[in-house]
Amino acid sequence: MARTDVTPVLSTAQPEDFFQLLKPRVMSLVIFTAVTGLVVASGTLDWLSSAIAILCIAVGAGAAGALNMALEGETDALMRRTRGRPVAAGRINKSDALTFGIVLSIFSVMLLGMTTNWVAASLLGLTIIYYAGFYTLLLKRRTPQNIVIGGAAGAFPPVIGWAAATGSAPWQAWLLFAIIFLWTPPHSWALALYSTGDYARAGIPMMPVVRGAKSTRLQVLIYSLVFVPVAVAPGLAGMGGPIYLTVSIVGGLAFLALAVRLWRSRAGDEPDKAEAVGREAALYDVRAEAKPARNLFAFSILYLMALFAALLVETLTAQALGRTLIP
Amino acid sequence: MTFVRLTPEQLTARNRRNRAIATGLIAFMVLIFVVTALNLKRNIDARAALNAPVAATGDRAG
Repeated sequence: MARTDVTPVLSTAQPEDFFQLLKPRVMSLVIFTAVTGLVVASGTLDWLSSAIAILCIAVGAGAAGALNMALEGETDALMRRTRGRPVAAGRINKSDALTFGIVLSIFSVMLLGMTTNWVAASLLGLTIIYYAGFYTLLLKRRTPQNIVIGGAAGAFPPVIGWAAATGSAPWQAWLLFAIIFLWTPPHSWALALYSTGDYARAGIPMMPVVRGAKSTRLQVLIYSLVFVPVAVAPGLAGMGGPIYLTVSIVGGLAFLALAVRLWRSRAGDEPDKAEAVGREAALYDVRAEAKPARNLFAFSILYLMALFAALLVETLTAQALGRTLIP
Repeated sequence: MTFVRLTPEQLTARNRRNRAIATGLIAFMVLIFVVTALNLKRNIDARAALNAPVAATGDRAG
């Protein structure tokens, strides 16, 4: 038998590296928003099926993250924020990461379908394809609107949670989708304003790289003006009560104040000065010029979590009292 | 035929990966078992609910 002289690739990848492929921080936000969608929907799903559904959504989102890291290893290696990722750092090779992502995608979608219904499973499958295929392979390198259109992938989890509980996705579920969808551009562009050099080196046409910092700051403000009323809407539509209304209005005003401050600042005007300092993964350790962008980025995460937490608390309270909030 | 001698780090990493895969597979098997049991129970309950009015009607007819 003929023998090939290919040197075998001997891996020292640890299980923790594979766990890192699942983007655990993103996964935690996915779990939280999916749980909110599932609980707010007030379906008839028992707690065990609900737990398995959330696990499937989390693993599906993680699989999409693994596929993203597999496909973007070379780009990630050029950026300080991402160069420590397993594929970028060379701890896991691309084909292993791809296989891992594909296997988890198939298992999570099939298991969600078997446990709950095929509407939820189809939405999860669509989300994975949208993020790993449409966003990562097509959009990200082609248009500065990448994050606007790609943001839909991150907005799907509450809709999937809702569909898992009820088998359908009514307008209330899409309102939760709209909140995350409109939250994504100001959130991502605030980060991009102090990571411009990184994106430029990697050849990713993020808004500050292509249109400049001034235009990006204006677009952050415009998106914030659209986002905040939508964030308040569930309170007015009867999905949330007084706690949600208070959190969404007070937090929304703070969000707008930070967006105005960013718009009036010079954040991102001098990319070399604005870049994050310190460790590779440091998201919050920035120079003075970039602080308005950093502040909006950090507050946007807090605000989104607070909105969904308020919705969750009020729904659970209403359910405990035997009432239903959904009209 | 040439053999590759693994370094202690590679050997440890491979063993840890094998254990993680085994744990994952067992967890997956348990999940499939639970989901199958849940679906069976759901279907049995649904069939019982479907047959209940028929049985009641049958009783009255008898």
